[in-house]
Amino acid sequence: MSEAKSFRKPYIRPVSATTWWLKNPFYTKYMLREGTAVMALFATLEIVFGVFMFALSTDGDPQCYMWWVRSFLGNPVIILLNILALGAQIFHMITWFNLMPKAVRLFMNKNSTERVPDAVTKIGLYCAVAGATVVILVAAFATM
Amino acid sequence: MHQTLPTRSDEPIYWLMFGGGGMIAAIVLPAILVIMIVAGLISPSINDGLLSYEQVSGLLSNWLLSLILFGVVFMLSFYALHRMYHSTHDFGIHSKLFWFAAYGAAAAISFICLGLQLLIYVRLF
Repeated sequence: MSEAKSFRKPYIRPVSATTWWLKNPFYTKYMLREGTAVMALFATLEIVFGVFMFALSTDGDPQCYMWWVRSFLGNPVIILLNILALGAQIFHMITWFNLMPKAVRLFMNKNSTERVPDAVTKIGLYCAVAGATVVILVAAFATM
Repeated sequence: MHQTLPTRSDEPIYWLMFGGGGMIAAIVLPAILVIMIVAGLISPSINDGLLSYEQVSGLLSNWLLSLILFGVVFMLSFYALHRMYHSTHDFGIHSKLFWFAAYGAAAAISFICLGLQLLIYVRLF
């Protein structure tokens, strides 16, 4: 690095570090998409909290777990946050599947540069969501 | 000083967990959230209703289902904290401290969960 003192005074456009994304709808959508990860973390912490409360209940008295499922999950604020998290995950799902054909380039066969249509990849992924949702919900409701 | 080999990045490992976790968040998390919302609305008893004590002890005493639950928690926590760590850059924070905080928290969340699941499995066995 040079020791000579620079007399340049370049103009640096002032940009707010915290509110720049509110001025352009494209950036707002980007930040909302990244923000869905906060709700995914919230859902993960709820699950781990439930496992913790269940571990406290394995000594024969299930009252800790029953508090988690009845009073914590049943709390209107938590129900509202869970519905918000569900909406956020559906937004995440749509944006994630929209970028999937851009991230994974599938070709029709080895000898061609013709690509598998984006719609095929997306429809396959939405079918995977439908299948997983049906399997999990049927398993949960059939064993309750 | 000559550097003969380029420095290898560890980013692909975290990116793999981000990619896999993003898939899990898109494919299985909506169903899990529906179950938690419905369980909150119906208030199950000890042995009847969605997410009743009986049902969850059936889930956690099965090693395969418990391992799948750990996989979901592990991938989701690394996915979410990877994305949140990279969002700190968007707010003008460029600190390695947040790297340690994010991946440390993800490792703590998932391995605390695994430890609790092992404890439950041994207690219910």
